[in-house]
Amino acid sequence: MSVETFMAKRGEVPSKFIEKVKGAVGEENISQSECDLISYSLDYWLYGVFLSQYGKLPSLPSVVISPRNSQEIQSILKYANEYKVGITPFGAGSGVLGGAIPIEGDAVLNLQRMNRFISLDGTSCVAEFEGGIIGANLERELNHRGYSMGSIPQSFYCSTLGGWISTRAVGQFSTKYGKIEDMVLGMEVVLPDGNPLNIKPVPRRSTGPSLKELFLGGEGTLGIVTKAVVSVHPLPERTIKQSFVFDSIEVALEVVRKILRGDAKPAVVRIFDEPETARYFEEIENKVTLIFISEGETDFVELEGKLIKRIAEENGGESFGENPVDIWLEKRFDIGLGPIIMQQGGIVDTIEVVSLFKDAVNLYNDMVSAMRAVEGAISVSGHYSHFYREGACLYITFAGFPKDPSRYYKDSWTAAMEATLKNNGSISHHHGIGFWRKEFMQQELGPYGVELLRRIKFALDQNGILNRGKLI
Amino acid sequence: MENKKELEQITNCALCANMCKYSCPVYLATGNETVTPQKKARLILYKKKAFIEDEKGFFDVMFQCAMGGACKVNCLYDNFDLRDFIQGERSEAFKKGILPDETRKRVETFTRFGNPDGERQLIQKGKGEIGYFVSCSTYNDQQLLKAVEKILARSGEQVQQFGGADICCGAPLYYAGDMEGFKKAAEKMKGEIEQRKLRKVISSCPTCIKMMTEIYDEIGTHLDAEFIHITEFLDHLVKEGKIKVNKANATATFHDPCILANDIGVTTAPRDIIKMLGFEIKEPIYFGKEAHCCGEVPGGRIGDSKLVDKVNAMRINELKETTADVYISACPTCKAALSDIDMKDIAEVVAEQIIDG
Repeated sequence: MSVETFMAKRGEVPSKFIEKVKGAVGEENISQSECDLISYSLDYWLYGVFLSQYGKLPSLPSVVISPRNSQEIQSILKYANEYKVGITPFGAGSGVLGGAIPIEGDAVLNLQRMNRFISLDGTSCVAEFEGGIIGANLERELNHRGYSMGSIPQSFYCSTLGGWISTRAVGQFSTKYGKIEDMVLGMEVVLPDGNPLNIKPVPRRSTGPSLKELFLGGEGTLGIVTKAVVSVHPLPERTIKQSFVFDSIEVALEVVRKILRGDAKPAVVRIFDEPETARYFEEIENKVTLIFISEGETDFVELEGKLIKRIAEENGGESFGENPVDIWLEKRFDIGLGPIIMQQGGIVDTIEVVSLFKDAVNLYNDMVSAMRAVEGAISVSGHYSHFYREGACLYITFAGFPKDPSRYYKDSWTAAMEATLKNNGSISHHHGIGFWRKEFMQQELGPYGVELLRRIKFALDQNGILNRGKLI
Repeated sequence: MENKKELEQITNCALCANMCKYSCPVYLATGNETVTPQKKARLILYKKKAFIEDEKGFFDVMFQCAMGGACKVNCLYDNFDLRDFIQGERSEAFKKGILPDETRKRVETFTRFGNPDGERQLIQKGKGEIGYFVSCSTYNDQQLLKAVEKILARSGEQVQQFGGADICCGAPLYYAGDMEGFKKAAEKMKGEIEQRKLRKVISSCPTCIKMMTEIYDEIGTHLDAEFIHITEFLDHLVKEGKIKVNKANATATFHDPCILANDIGVTTAPRDIIKMLGFEIKEPIYFGKEAHCCGEVPGGRIGDSKLVDKVNAMRINELKETTADVYISACPTCKAALSDIDMKDIAEVVAEQIIDG
């Protein structure tokens, strides 16, 4: 094999393990072919993607196993424990922190064969899916039946429900519909020792600490999510799109804060800083743009629309109508520029963090200025999205043409994380930790926090087989 | 890679987040990351840069594609079609003699008989400047041939039917990567059309139309005739009142053939016809340009018969869910592939509803 690996050599697994797994999943669902090993070697960790164009990959899996159901996964994990084989779960490979990279050359567990819609309960507003279904396909199944889950991340077309759960993902319409932890009612999980766990779907329970929280953000280190029951909504009857421009991020944040204190729940709320405004909306110059989408029952939506308009205009917002919202809707999945920049030797990536409103302006200013100061930086821009009554997620997009790409990438991340921690923010809002961000976990959780996670991991996975080198 | 632009294009695809994978029927039917468009692009890039050692394994992946164009329809980049690059690799595979078994058998049959199915009679009926080309997929479908004959007889148009024997657009050779053989087939087809002095050619097979227009142009075989799919001809006949039809009182599901929807761009005409025939349309979850491929024939666009079965089973399940009274398509290959749900060609449904006299 001629590809170069820069993190670990391809691992080896005992032939007896291979034989036993073949017996569980069938010969055609286990592979060590060169093309398969290359295809499951990397997710969408962007520095890895940058290097992949030169034939450099983090590492190659020892083997790729593609089970069809929970029972097969139970067998695989039991064999993995017996033979001490590391297992890296692979959802759809859209994660941007390297969470699905077999960084120690481990076996990859491909979960994409489990991609079916199972059932819809319109009375209870819940639907069940297998974990490997892609978001766009999940939403299509629901829309066809008159419902929506309301989870539309930028990776909508290339990420799975299981991946959303494992990374605590968030969609663009989150301010109304909630984040993945608000949407998941129950799930079927295979624990690291191969035993099944069924968390039944109910709106809430008081049965000790919530076990499902272990897997919402578990990043495949604590179990494999094979099915989930999620909350769904009838398709909206009415949609109102509004936009306003402001002189500063500070004023725009204050407007959103007041709107959410008024109990409004717009589906989409986004504040674009000046560089992002310039990139998205040609007609708006030297301003900050704030867009809203309200949707749902007509009476509620119209009331919410009026509230938004009143508060925005009372605070100096100039209305720009629906057009900026339509432009954003059209461009929101277009990541086409990234590969073009990478081909020219440029580095691109995004970082999402979160803070309370009281720290939000300082966080933006500190993070942007620190990242712009990194040698090689060309562009650092940001938007606030995913709002709460208490605060919001800051999402930074950065690009550079550095002499030393590795150094630039590392320094940009360090600058961003340090600015976040300085301003009392959390180092990740919804992309997760993977392997790339884990060095900041000590500062995020404190030494006892990390130790607690380690003990939880050991309690569930004594042989340390699941997703080694990730999260902690 | 032939030139810098092509290298940039395939690298863009290889560095993308796989934003079209959700639409790829081969991926959805298998859950296999390796067959997704972005991973195929990475493999093609690596092959060009000599990073791939297992050539046979690589070429097998190149034949694990339905070539239906879902990725093109859902691509972030303008003027990029991954199929062009896959086709280039298939051509390489053919030159090196590294073909999947089913594909090789189809090429061998074609080489011997001038078509992918074996010995056939020549079909030559009627006169006129308009031709109805009996595609290979239509040749064995007697119900469809009778329906077409009935429609043509009632249409008031002078149409000559031709096909069978060794008259074939060459698509089986094209998808197998035999570009030399395909060029010969294209030139032969050009001769067949010119010798009949046809100014317009109708076919029931979307792939024939794609080949005789877009792909013949690419290889420098230019035909002066106009080529239309039969749905467009039927749409014209029904809308202009050239044939009168009874109104059905039933529900129907239309399966969009991938080449018809994605390459020829026809999705409205068949639905207009079906509605004019009095059917209420029940759409499946995936329809129009989002419809999934039927799987076609083993060794056809997909080289591996097991993979064909998986794609086929997925599409049948999607269609069955509508529980419509009638299932209709507009491609004889789709009709044959989806025969488990009693699929009819749109021409048959029109013929059944024609008012005699």
